[in-house]
Amino acid sequence: MAILEVENIHKSFGKAEVLKGISFSLEKGNVLSIIGSSGSGKTTLLRCINFLETADVGRITVDGDPIFDSDAPSTLSARERRDKQLKIGLVFQQFNLFPQYNVLDNVTLAPRLRAKERADYKQNKKQIIGEIEAKAKELLHKMGLSDKLDYYPCQLSGGQQQRVSIARAMALEPKILFFDEPTSALDPELTGEILKVIRELAKEHMTMVIVTHEMNFAKEVSDHIVFMDQGVIAEEGRANDLFENPQSERLKAFLNNLKN
Amino acid sequence: MNKKLIALVLAAVMVVACFALAACGDKTTDPTDAASSDLAYIKDKGTLVIGITDYAPMDFQKEGSEEWVGFDADLAKKFAESLGVKAEFQLIEWDYKTTELDGKTIDCVWNGMTLTEEVKTAMDCSKAYLHNQQIVIVPADKAADYQTAEACKDLQFAVENGSAGEEVATELGFKITEVENQASALQEVAAGTCDAAIIDSLMAGAMVGEGTSYANLTYTVGLNNEEYGVGFRKGSDVVEVFNAFLDAAIADGTVDAIAETYDVQAALIK
Amino acid sequence: MTQFFQQFPVVFQALNVGFLQTLKLFGATLLGALPLGLLISFGSMSKFKPLSIVTRLIVWVVRGTPLMIQLLIIFFFPGLVWGKPIWGGGESGRFLAATVAFILNYACYFSEIYRGGIQSIPVGQHEAAQVLGLSKSQTFFRVVLLQVVKRIVPPMSNEIITLVKDTSLARIIALQEIIWAGQSFMKGSHGIAGQIWPLFFTGVYYLLFSGLLTILFNRLEKKLDYFKV
Repeated sequence: MAILEVENIHKSFGKAEVLKGISFSLEKGNVLSIIGSSGSGKTTLLRCINFLETADVGRITVDGDPIFDSDAPSTLSARERRDKQLKIGLVFQQFNLFPQYNVLDNVTLAPRLRAKERADYKQNKKQIIGEIEAKAKELLHKMGLSDKLDYYPCQLSGGQQQRVSIARAMALEPKILFFDEPTSALDPELTGEILKVIRELAKEHMTMVIVTHEMNFAKEVSDHIVFMDQGVIAEEGRANDLFENPQSERLKAFLNNLKN
Repeated sequence: MNKKLIALVLAAVMVVACFALAACGDKTTDPTDAASSDLAYIKDKGTLVIGITDYAPMDFQKEGSEEWVGFDADLAKKFAESLGVKAEFQLIEWDYKTTELDGKTIDCVWNGMTLTEEVKTAMDCSKAYLHNQQIVIVPADKAADYQTAEACKDLQFAVENGSAGEEVATELGFKITEVENQASALQEVAAGTCDAAIIDSLMAGAMVGEGTSYANLTYTVGLNNEEYGVGFRKGSDVVEVFNAFLDAAIADGTVDAIAETYDVQAALIK
Repeated sequence: MTQFFQQFPVVFQALNVGFLQTLKLFGATLLGALPLGLLISFGSMSKFKPLSIVTRLIVWVVRGTPLMIQLLIIFFFPGLVWGKPIWGGGESGRFLAATVAFILNYACYFSEIYRGGIQSIPVGQHEAAQVLGLSKSQTFFRVVLLQVVKRIVPPMSNEIITLVKDTSLARIIALQEIIWAGQSFMKGSHGIAGQIWPLFFTGVYYLLFSGLLTILFNRLEKKLDYFKV
């Protein structure tokens, strides 16, 4: 059974229909890349799935649990809805780290606040905080940032900031991790370190959805590719098939443009 | 949903408050009605709030003391005592004396107030209790040259804005500079920024000449005759009570005794 | 000169009493206006139109009219129009009225500074907090607030130093703050008249106090220097 099922997502801004019925699914442990030219709707799709926008029509199911359904208006409280949303994590193009917190606190802030809602928080406060910090340090170690725990975002390079933000998203243990053009805000020489991190996560079978412009990388790391154009999925398939043997004229044109 | 409701309620409260304020602004109060029980109102709250300015020898504080004394202050304390209430002295901005009175933030103006036409229109006044004059103040070394009003006509006069002194100076066609208060007028002369000033003779007695703050100034010619009275709210029934009190206080020598303390017995009206 | 030394203790004492009143008004205004300003800024940013329109209207009126008029209206209006002086007698009543007027006035100024500060925080900060599961209030207090504080320290310090000097306006309703105390020695008070130096001397108090505030604000700014917004 698919861990993520997206069905018939529609979204308009005013009169402009940006998403015209998007459906796809993703297996646990797989990596899906969404490619397409700017304005194709791929970022809007990502924002709809992460609740930064509300889709007009459609259904999103994560791990069998419907987290959004336009036909069945939610009766959930704000907190319950937040809990459902946390099944997915998001890494932003612009990192969006919290500037007033150091690296470690950026990663632990959300888990700490969530821990406060636990019934046993008062009793086991020390232990719970300890676990959260240990986990954050482990994540940051994995990101190669063990020596930067008490640095503030303004003291870090763009690549380091993006790695912190990946650790921050993973600290909440999402079932699926989304990336919104994670290297677009970086200098070319810094993109490598982010791609390396994502590659390693893929090896560990982290389920991921990546919106990206890095075609070679998408091809290398993805199990499945979705090509979007003008608000619809124009073509999708296995990474190799899609790049080596594009079927639609639109994808052919897109890939040709990139080569030139 | 809940938030919207709160926001709606807040907005409604604000709008209502605005209209309430505006509506109240239209309401005209009947002064006679409000003041018909002025005596009862004062007795009820237990204090007589006396609007004053710091003005020797009528209302002032001695060096190192916070207590208000003076011819007016001492008599006011006796009057409050006769009503069975506490005398409370409240410094005010002189320009707002009528507003303070009407707004009930004070109960009377009792501060060497000249009974001008303007004052008599704005307040209900007691009968006069002191004589006063508007007199000319000049530097002592030039006093000999300015002993008549005629001799003074080319001088530049400092006068208190809206005072009896300004009224007289304007009638006589003097050139005037308006200043904030009588003390400022004296200061103008002392500083040489004006040639002369016109102030109350009672104040001049206390503030000008040997042994005072302005030893180098003196007074020369008196320009008119006027009288001091106490101002109450329009339509107040306290006026009659005060007049009766004043008659009795004059008869039993109380007023004389106080006048002697502050050296104003020559100006008393009996 | 001997006269000056005789007068100095009397003047010093009176100015201290006046300055205490100035400080009290200053402190009470900050205490009330800092939080009220935040509420007003929320009102003016509300997505619920009637609330934001009414709030902005009030802010416009309060900021668009002189504080002196507001003082006179707030102090005299109840007695003149309702026939009921609500502020209570004596100096404390005048102080209360002045405090209300100052809080209202300064809350409106502060609210606009807050609004500018809050709206200048990049939307990405809110979105990051949202996808990390922070509630609206957690987002405001844990993520946005300190960034706003850092941004508004310079304009707020300006406004607060202006407040120190604006307190002298309260003398219009005969609140005896330090300028009143200084000026009384021109008109004549405590046996001293025609002296202008006490009024000049009040400037020393203002200078020292605003100097102290400047140092405090510089420290705060330094303290927030460790991060960039």
